[in-house]
Amino acid sequence: MNFYIPLFILIPFIGFVISLIPHNHQEKWIYRTVFLTLIYHFLLLSFFCINGIFKDDFNLFFEGPALYKTNTSNFSFHLYFDVQTAFFAWITDFIFIVVSTFSKTYLHREKGFKRFFNNMLFFFLGLSIIEFSGNFETLFAGWEIIGIASFLLVAFYKDRYLPAKNAMKLFSTYRIADISMIMGIWLSHHFFKKSLNFQELKFLELNYLGGEQDIYILIIPFLFFLAALVKSAQFPFSSMLPRAMEGPTTSSAIFYGSLSVHMGVFLLLRTFPLWENHYVFKIVIICFGILTCLLSTFIARVQSSIKTQIAYSSIAQIGIIFIEVALGFHTLALLHFAANAFLRTYQLLVSPAVLSYLIHDQFFHFVKPNNYIKDDFLGRIKMTIYQLSIKEFNMDTNMYEFFWKPLKTIGKKLTFFQTGKALILCSLYLLVGFYFIFIKKYYSEPWLHQFSFFGGFLSLGLILSAFESRISAENAWWQIIFSQCLLGQAIALNEQFEITQLLLFLSGIVFAAILGFLVLYRLKQKGDAILLDKFHGHWYVRPRLSVAFLIACLGISGFPITPTFIGEDLILGHLHENQIGLTLLISLILVLDGLAIYRIYARLFLGPHPGSYHESAFRSS
Amino acid sequence: MTKHFEFDINHVLHELKHYLPSQTPLKDFIHHNSLHAFQHLEFFEGIFKASAIFGYKVTLSLNEYRKLNKLGRIRTEILTKTIIDNYGEVNFAAWLDKVLNKSYDSEVTPRIGQFRKNWQKFYNIDLDNSVQPLLFRIINSYLDQGISLWHFPFEDKGLINAIKIFEEKSFSSFFKTDRVKKLLLDPNLNMVELLRILVSKESLFQEYIFDQQFSHRGWSGIVSSIEDNPNSVLYPKSISLKDFITLELLLEIDALTAEYGNKWRPLGELLNKEPCDLFGPVAVTELQQVIMLWQQAFEWSYYDEIFAGLISLQKQKNAIKKGENTENFTEFIGIFCIDERECSIRRHLEYVQPHCETMGCPGFFGVEFYFHPLNGKFYEKLCPAPVTPKYLIKEIESNGVRGHELLFNKKAHTILRGFFITLSLGFWAAIQLVLDIFRPKMSLAISDAFAHMNLSSTLKIEASSPVEIENNLQIGFTVIEMVDRVENLLRGIGLYQNFPPLVYAVGHGSSSANNPHHGAHDCGACSGKPGSVNSRVFAFMANHNEVRKILKERGLTIPDTTQFVGALHDTASDEMAFYDLEVLTPVNISRHKSNVLHFEDALDLNAKERSRRFASINTQSNIKYVRKSIQKRSVSYFEPRPELGHGTNALCFVGHRQLTKGLFLDRRAFMNSYDYRSDPEGALLLGVMKPLPIVCGGINLEYYFSRVDNAKMGSGTKLPHNVMGLIGVANSSDGDLRPGLPLQMIEVHDPVRLMIVVEHFPEIILKTIQSSPEYYEWFNNRWVLITSIHPESGQLFIFKDGQFHPYFPIFKDVKEISDVNKLIENAKVMKSNEIYHATQEHIPVHILN
Repeated sequence: MNFYIPLFILIPFIGFVISLIPHNHQEKWIYRTVFLTLIYHFLLLSFFCINGIFKDDFNLFFEGPALYKTNTSNFSFHLYFDVQTAFFAWITDFIFIVVSTFSKTYLHREKGFKRFFNNMLFFFLGLSIIEFSGNFETLFAGWEIIGIASFLLVAFYKDRYLPAKNAMKLFSTYRIADISMIMGIWLSHHFFKKSLNFQELKFLELNYLGGEQDIYILIIPFLFFLAALVKSAQFPFSSMLPRAMEGPTTSSAIFYGSLSVHMGVFLLLRTFPLWENHYVFKIVIICFGILTCLLSTFIARVQSSIKTQIAYSSIAQIGIIFIEVALGFHTLALLHFAANAFLRTYQLLVSPAVLSYLIHDQFFHFVKPNNYIKDDFLGRIKMTIYQLSIKEFNMDTNMYEFFWKPLKTIGKKLTFFQTGKALILCSLYLLVGFYFIFIKKYYSEPWLHQFSFFGGFLSLGLILSAFESRISAENAWWQIIFSQCLLGQAIALNEQFEITQLLLFLSGIVFAAILGFLVLYRLKQKGDAILLDKFHGHWYVRPRLSVAFLIACLGISGFPITPTFIGEDLILGHLHENQIGLTLLISLILVLDGLAIYRIYARLFLGPHPGSYHESAFRSS
Repeated sequence: MTKHFEFDINHVLHELKHYLPSQTPLKDFIHHNSLHAFQHLEFFEGIFKASAIFGYKVTLSLNEYRKLNKLGRIRTEILTKTIIDNYGEVNFAAWLDKVLNKSYDSEVTPRIGQFRKNWQKFYNIDLDNSVQPLLFRIINSYLDQGISLWHFPFEDKGLINAIKIFEEKSFSSFFKTDRVKKLLLDPNLNMVELLRILVSKESLFQEYIFDQQFSHRGWSGIVSSIEDNPNSVLYPKSISLKDFITLELLLEIDALTAEYGNKWRPLGELLNKEPCDLFGPVAVTELQQVIMLWQQAFEWSYYDEIFAGLISLQKQKNAIKKGENTENFTEFIGIFCIDERECSIRRHLEYVQPHCETMGCPGFFGVEFYFHPLNGKFYEKLCPAPVTPKYLIKEIESNGVRGHELLFNKKAHTILRGFFITLSLGFWAAIQLVLDIFRPKMSLAISDAFAHMNLSSTLKIEASSPVEIENNLQIGFTVIEMVDRVENLLRGIGLYQNFPPLVYAVGHGSSSANNPHHGAHDCGACSGKPGSVNSRVFAFMANHNEVRKILKERGLTIPDTTQFVGALHDTASDEMAFYDLEVLTPVNISRHKSNVLHFEDALDLNAKERSRRFASINTQSNIKYVRKSIQKRSVSYFEPRPELGHGTNALCFVGHRQLTKGLFLDRRAFMNSYDYRSDPEGALLLGVMKPLPIVCGGINLEYYFSRVDNAKMGSGTKLPHNVMGLIGVANSSDGDLRPGLPLQMIEVHDPVRLMIVVEHFPEIILKTIQSSPEYYEWFNNRWVLITSIHPESGQLFIFKDGQFHPYFPIFKDVKEISDVNKLIENAKVMKSNEIYHATQEHIPVHILN
């Protein structure tokens, strides 16, 4: 049995690849591919479940080939099948089968029919990887796939402004989750001195010895918890969920109504052994759960747009699920997850019907609400809550005000990094750095650490400036590449290690960088604007370049299965756990570089295309 | 002496309201000309002006026209004729080259929005981004009809007053800066003062407000429309456009102040700019002239073919008339709505029962009233939108009680109950979802045309004596009032002799699931509601003994053996219901029973004909299966096209059915019955034709504009739509409302203007359309076209430049066919919804043998 687990990943992968072949108008072809993929997956899963029930064996493990292995680090592909996997996967398969059947007719003749189902399968692949993952590295690969699939589905109607904008918003929030997860993985490597798999994790006995080590036991779950908060749109990240509902109703139902949002719960359940005995942490989770639940319910109560209302009710229920997980009621949490996923999927799918239903209902049962609020202290509190709920407790604006805006403000000031001088300086710095790496000396010298730290700062400066750049995309692309190289070098200088690891990292970057430049060059050649001052919507006339550039972006941002990703992961292994400063610096760079990269993609290829020979919606619609 | 510029706020608001989209909340969908504000101009002048000001795309693109020409859809001989008609033979070659080959730069920068855009330039601030999300949220919550569980308080005090109360009482605020908080609470708060802060120069105020409001025309439009029509929402809200603009100005000042403190200056001071006359004259470009030629050629390629069909049909009929004398008796008459969707069922009915006649009249059957369903808390208006009825029809008995749908329970959005509801109903939702996909069936959440009035309910139609009044409405009609209405209708459609035993008055409605635009599929003449009550009321009146007595005195004799039956046709599910059958005499009951079989057969055929445009149904399958599938579509949540509405409409006939009987018009013609012989002076003609431009022309133009610019004047694809406050749809949670028709409704439509063909003498028609200037405007400015078909000679006269000119069709090759089903089964299916693919789905005119 163990040997067959990879089929759960292979089936969606093959389905996804096949679904790329047909033409957009071959709707039956596309749907059949999707349907067969899902059905095979479902049948296989059912077989596994039946087998598991009869043999009472819900503990299958598959140890995949190590993608990279040395005596210190081990990056391998592990799969795991237990009750939790079976449950989540079963619900996922069911919802996918139903919703894709729904979508077949719903999306008929849509220009993005094929793109929609490609995305669905890609998303399905990501979910399967998460659900069947046997260790954090594998889980992270799925996590990233979901992020990209979400980004692409929010921007499904790329010819409008709001989807382009909200896709970036979603992506930037997700990026926080991704990086906190990478950091979590990295810290746990250090702490456990190896890559821990979920089977081992389940039977792990964590003892609090007191002393230095406890800090890590504290921090690791927090990092995973942060990732879960973001993915499940809990406080303070809730406002991104309604804004992600830009795609066709069916995709909103499956992503944000039901499956994607519950992945936080999945992660929390997986990491449970890490914090089982950690009471402070449990209280923190419960507090976040209660807070989210209260705020989201208030917001849902005052919502006047139907999908937003459903989004917030879903968030509120997930808040409760978080509490259930923390309290150890895991069966209840699983049931609650399933029920919530079903209900919200249904509510979203039929959300357009609410107009005729409620209007008719109102026609016969309307009683004018008494909306007077008394002028006393309680009344004033009530009004305050109402007003704050309308403003979504400023979650959306605060996220911008307190997190992104300061970074942008700094970025704006760093125009120096956009000049040729800066690039020359960085090149020199890189040359010197690589020299140190190649001669393999001075590793113990403290000044080299400072040298690498400074390299990290240069990298941060470059990326901050690229993040806010409003000039040419080529310039920003250079900045990103330099920033990535500096980052790699900074870590490489930190400790003696094999050059092959660095080469692996760089090879990915170089390929992606060249591809990116080629695309930009073509765009320029065709006379298209490549300034980053607004959305240009070039996809409309250059769909192929758009795909090529997306691949370049995936490559350079260290998307799983690209060499960059493996390199990134390996290189992180060389950070020391006591280098908090360097670690924070690197996390910040990693958060920003993804954003700067996808921002270029979004600005160049998404949004309304300016030509007036075709239809194009108003900006506000 | 300085020139004093007086800024007249009311005038600007009035102008603004005129140009904003006038779509009402979606519960009643009333089609109208999307560019009604430009109707005082000639059609092309008007649309190009609208394009220059607002940036709308108002025709197909040049490339599309050229492709249509290559395809043969725009016929070259028509193009040639159009060019010569417009520019003469001398310039023909030059224009032909421009039309076919010259390339043009089509970039247009609209006038609107240019001034206000400068904030971005001077302060690098995106005011739309910082103001709109909150503004939309506030206005949506304020206007919300019933989505939220907790409603906006003080909604009857006016928007600004409600916001003021919030500011005074709440511990939080909608605004960030003290400056704006002070401004808000200032007793002298008014728009002009705020504009002075933002713009400073009075001469620029108007432009600024237009720029600002047109950056979200959807919300501004709905505010303006609810202000003008407070009854268009069930939950009344006190709202004015003025308040809305004031709020937006406050939020703008707030955003600027929050960013720049007091360091920013008004836009008028930053920019040394003369006010731009938004509505000043617009120069016509050569590209537009070329497009004009193309559009006319596109339209006339179709009209010409239809005209050729009409003439060939007449010739054929004349030949038969001379040859033989067919015996003629009529089993029954079906009076249908003029709606072009009823065009096919009439043809099928006449085919399955050759001894029947069909007629057409606007689907409210000339009876205008409000309807009060039993236990309903409101009245429903059941007549064309511009009419204000004085009557009320009450439902006094009904065995249907409206229940609740569990899964739509709003309590699922609360904490504790939400928890239990989720855990219990969640699993039910999964089962329901599977059922809805594999076994779709009617439920309360689906808008059901037949549920509008229960089959067995009792209505109070006749007024008691003395008349009862409720809310200034008379309950029921008096006998004389009934007589007037029945007489008007029957004479108008030319039914004044040879009554058969049964006359059916068939209203129509449409059932559809998951469709916020469901009202757009119902009867336009009943204000976007099903026409069942009207048909029933009309049948009651026409059956009334007293009424018949007086009618007889007036020279309209309805034999005692003749009875009227009200009915409803569901245009989506192709089902019919008949009302009040218990009043029929036993003889008529048995006649009715056999007629129903004919109706059923006609419905089968109608379903089959419709199915050719639906990918999910194979038209060649067993006909009963096709009908079943059609019925299923109307109750499927996953079906965004339960029916195609008025898509493809292009023609309107006013005349005897003989004019078109035997012509295959592919469901593209509105058909109003009218008999010129009973009205040689045209006394009734105006009454018959009066509603046509506004109802059919309104439908046609709304489809036209939603088709040519689905992104700006339509509402785009309906798949991502989010229902806002039960009044409209938007994309995303922060998006503007999207008035107009969704992509799924217009993709089959060819954007051509409505051609009204009237069977009467040209001079009588001219007299009729010139009866009032506003009415004449429709025709003279060519927003709808009109043609006379001479009742005696059969000669066609087209209306142009204030006169009727003879017209001789160029098209010679009108095909004949004996089996319509073959035609339908072999019709092309569009490859994509681009116009050059979509238009190939239309079947050309055929003569049926």
